[in-house]
Amino acid sequence: MISLFILVPLTSVILLNLFKGSLINKIACWFGMLLTLVQIYLIVFPVTCFWDNLSNPLGNYFILNLSADTLSKVMLLMIGIVTFISLMIGQYTYHEETQKFNFANLIILALSGMNGIVLVTDIFSLYVFIEVVAVASFILICLYKDKAGFESAFKYIILSIAATVFMLLSIVLLFLISGDTTFTAINIASKNPTYGFILVVAIGLFTCGAFTKGGLVPFHSWLPDAHSSAPTSISILLSGIVIKVSGLYPLIRLLTMTGGGNESIKNILLIVGTVSILVGALAALGQNDIKRMLAFSSVSQMGYIVLSLGTGTMLGLVGAVFHMFNHSVFKSQLFANSAAVEKQTGTRDMNKLGGIAQKMPFTGTTSIIGMLSICGIPPLAGFWSKLIIVIALWQTAHYGYAFVAVIASVITLAYFLSLQRRVFFGKIASGLENIKEAKAGLIIPVVILAAVTILVGIFFPFIMEKLIMPVGDILK
Amino acid sequence: MINILILLPFIAGLFILAMPKKARGITGFVVLLVTLINLFITIKLFRTTAMVSFPWAGFGIDFALRLDHFSSFIILAVAGFGFLISLYAVTSMKGTEIYNQFFAYLLVSLTLANGAVLADNLVVMLFFWEGLLVTLFAMITIGNKQAYKTAVKAVVLVGISDLCMMVGIGLTAHLAGTLSMSGIKLGLQSSGGVAYILLMIGAISKAGSMPFHSWIPDAAVDANLPFMAILPAALEKLLGIYFLARISLEMFSLTPDSWISTLLMIVGGITILFAVMMALIQKDYKRLLSYHAISQVGYMVLGIGTAVPAGIIGGLFHMINHAMYKSTLFLTGGSVERQAGTTDLRKLGGLGAKMPITFACFIVAAAAISGVPPFNGFFSKELVYDGALERGWIFYAMAVAGSFFTAASFLKLGHSAYLGKINDGHKNVKEAPITMLIPMIIIASLCILFGLYNSLPLHNLIQPILGEHRLEGHHFSGFPENMMLVIVTVVVLIAAYLNHIFGVKKSGSGLGAVDHIHHAPVLSGIYDKAEKRFFDPYNIGLGIVNIFVVILFKIDRIIDWIVDNFTVKVTYVFTNTIRKIHTGDAALYLSWSLGGMILIVLYIIVR
Repeated sequence: MISLFILVPLTSVILLNLFKGSLINKIACWFGMLLTLVQIYLIVFPVTCFWDNLSNPLGNYFILNLSADTLSKVMLLMIGIVTFISLMIGQYTYHEETQKFNFANLIILALSGMNGIVLVTDIFSLYVFIEVVAVASFILICLYKDKAGFESAFKYIILSIAATVFMLLSIVLLFLISGDTTFTAINIASKNPTYGFILVVAIGLFTCGAFTKGGLVPFHSWLPDAHSSAPTSISILLSGIVIKVSGLYPLIRLLTMTGGGNESIKNILLIVGTVSILVGALAALGQNDIKRMLAFSSVSQMGYIVLSLGTGTMLGLVGAVFHMFNHSVFKSQLFANSAAVEKQTGTRDMNKLGGIAQKMPFTGTTSIIGMLSICGIPPLAGFWSKLIIVIALWQTAHYGYAFVAVIASVITLAYFLSLQRRVFFGKIASGLENIKEAKAGLIIPVVILAAVTILVGIFFPFIMEKLIMPVGDILK
Repeated sequence: MINILILLPFIAGLFILAMPKKARGITGFVVLLVTLINLFITIKLFRTTAMVSFPWAGFGIDFALRLDHFSSFIILAVAGFGFLISLYAVTSMKGTEIYNQFFAYLLVSLTLANGAVLADNLVVMLFFWEGLLVTLFAMITIGNKQAYKTAVKAVVLVGISDLCMMVGIGLTAHLAGTLSMSGIKLGLQSSGGVAYILLMIGAISKAGSMPFHSWIPDAAVDANLPFMAILPAALEKLLGIYFLARISLEMFSLTPDSWISTLLMIVGGITILFAVMMALIQKDYKRLLSYHAISQVGYMVLGIGTAVPAGIIGGLFHMINHAMYKSTLFLTGGSVERQAGTTDLRKLGGLGAKMPITFACFIVAAAAISGVPPFNGFFSKELVYDGALERGWIFYAMAVAGSFFTAASFLKLGHSAYLGKINDGHKNVKEAPITMLIPMIIIASLCILFGLYNSLPLHNLIQPILGEHRLEGHHFSGFPENMMLVIVTVVVLIAAYLNHIFGVKKSGSGLGAVDHIHHAPVLSGIYDKAEKRFFDPYNIGLGIVNIFVVILFKIDRIIDWIVDNFTVKVTYVFTNTIRKIHTGDAALYLSWSLGGMILIVLYIIVR
């Protein structure tokens, strides 16, 4: 039945377009939200008969085997949450009917693609679904049809093509040594020592592709432009989930199915992770545009996840997945906050903002929660995932990297404090005396996400035991 | 029943604290009612035994309360003082801004004192014990404008000693394997001795012994007077000595041949002498009394430290006697302050005729504290002397010398405040209101009763604490058996009186009666330094801390420079570089991407 995760969104996109009309236009967003809510419900309250793999209608007609392990479930949950939030924000920020309808359509398509990525069991189908998500994202970025949107979408396409080339090359190599593209076949082939060199090169190439999709330095250059010029609801989708599902998730899959590659792969992950953390954080420090700063911050946080993967241990994997989850929550929230600020003040330039926390108390408070979490202040969610990452690094004797991870937290704090100070604290900037708090449509999502951040932090042992630690099972 | 002792005053205290300003009229009524109920319950519980325990925090920390003879006696005394001093304070504090606050803290203190006495679990006891530190702080803070500093001083000093006690409790629990006080039986060898000393520090500093004493004289001036009468004069002495006796007699077996016993006696002797010497030269009614509150603790610590039955009985008897006459003395001081408007001895004089009942109470209490027969202080001091003499003449000499100075300083105090010429501004001073006199009269008559009929307290209250088997057949009531000691005491008292006459003749006034001692060649230098707080452990500690502060500040400046200038500059160099290379050129971005790929593949191939 898990194929419904892919089939339902896909058919709904088709049906929505077949019966296009003013009524459908209105309900499209709500329908998408319903889909994501059902998805979240199915993860949080598992229905046994749904998850067993016996009835697979898609598999009977296409040669497509799906399976959902613990990692997939966490990813499905993340996809559900972020897509839901993105739809909620989009529902409120788009005014033109067609635009809203197109937005809903493409998001549901991307949902189908992302669900596909995390459920498939062969690497070529994985690639196909990555492309589905990418195509949806290209259009979503330039949904406003302005110059900046087209330019950044163009950059994204260019670099995505490069990533595609890397990935396809790698898939070809893997096909060469295993004779098949399924995960199991690759797993068996990876244990054959004669293929060692080709395997490592294949992993290296695939890693390059994944780095591009995930926005790691030096493959990150599309990310700040795309995230900052896209509509905010799209920024939430991109930064919150797309870069993780189409970039880091395939990387995790490949690494786990090939046994993590050799030492040089681990070194590459560690080095690229560290460089991303530092470059992302330092670049964020110099930004004046809220969304651009958040985008660079995403680069930096992706660095943490890759760094954690570089340890190659179970704890590292767990820390990476947990940080992915937390990042998807608080970064979506911070982008949603920026949407509220932009909506109410008409600008994202931090130099023109100031002191708006007194006028927008909900936005101000939740953004502080998100900021504290991303900087790793206990007891919020971000603290625990960073702690696990640092412990994982320490256990594998990567003291230098652990030190960088901690120091970069300070830089993170520095740029987020500068954001808070320039936007929310202090005296109110001239011209903003009459602004009001954003409407409920923008407040409810951020409050939900801030609550998730706090609750995950406080009930960390419970979340850890039920949701995150089981992810380690996929290594067995 | 026991639970009421802990719950009722606490709830009443919170109620009073939360009461609106308009309802202030009933505060006094509520306080008196609650303290009276508290008193009745303790009377009812007196001489009964009980054990209450329910699980609390885990790890062997049960909420265990134990009522036995000793604890029932102490809570009875606490309740008695609580009621009488509330009665006094209801009048003396009337009309002040902090009326409700004061009584709220007083009632909470009662709860905490009851809890600390009744607790059978060391952690539970610590909980209540530390709670008293909070109310102590609160009650000092609501005094005059400088009170905040004194409150901090008190918290720092008592806090340090409580920290020692905390460590001691940890060590004791580790050694004994249990936190239950009734289940602990330890020796004084090696780490057992360390544990005992740590617990002892907590106990004697609560009682106000040196070297954790120096907040008391400051609080005497800065805090409200009923606070001084209830906490440092009565409750804290009772609690501190109670706990000292508990650890010395029950949990550890203090024997005369152990060095710790000698240590306790040295602490006691030094406290007696040094504090009384300071008391001698004070020119303020309350400050003088507060130094005596420290000095008298020395007798109790010395008595228990002797570890012989006479000394221990004497020390415990002195504890209850001291609580009585010292609170009376503070209450007379409060009356004088309220009626005459000052406690500065230079401005007082001749009040005896105007306030005869207060004067009479003062005479009784002063005679008791100086150890004049047949008041209660005389008998307890004789027992302490007896014990001290058994252990060494030097301790006896210290105690007797203390007695001499005590008598001298009270002669001076009485003379300068109540006799002599009346100040012009005090011509119309009247006797204090009746509600303030009643507590004084009751406690003062108890002082006489406990003296004349001393077998009543000794037989019923003190001796059962030790148990028959430890008394070795002695009975300590009645007139002292050792006539030598009595003769020495009388001689010392006469000497003190002669000294007073001499001093008055030499200086011409009651206030200057001890000036010849104050300005004696060597002593005057020491006194000058002591008056400048040269020997105050708090100030010495502050000095040491200040050195660290200076060093750390210098280090901090360096770190500051590194963080504020160096790091920021370096960071911005990187940040600007990174900003500059992000030109937005798609071809450049693509070349980074390909370059990265080539580097990664090369890295793999070369390895």
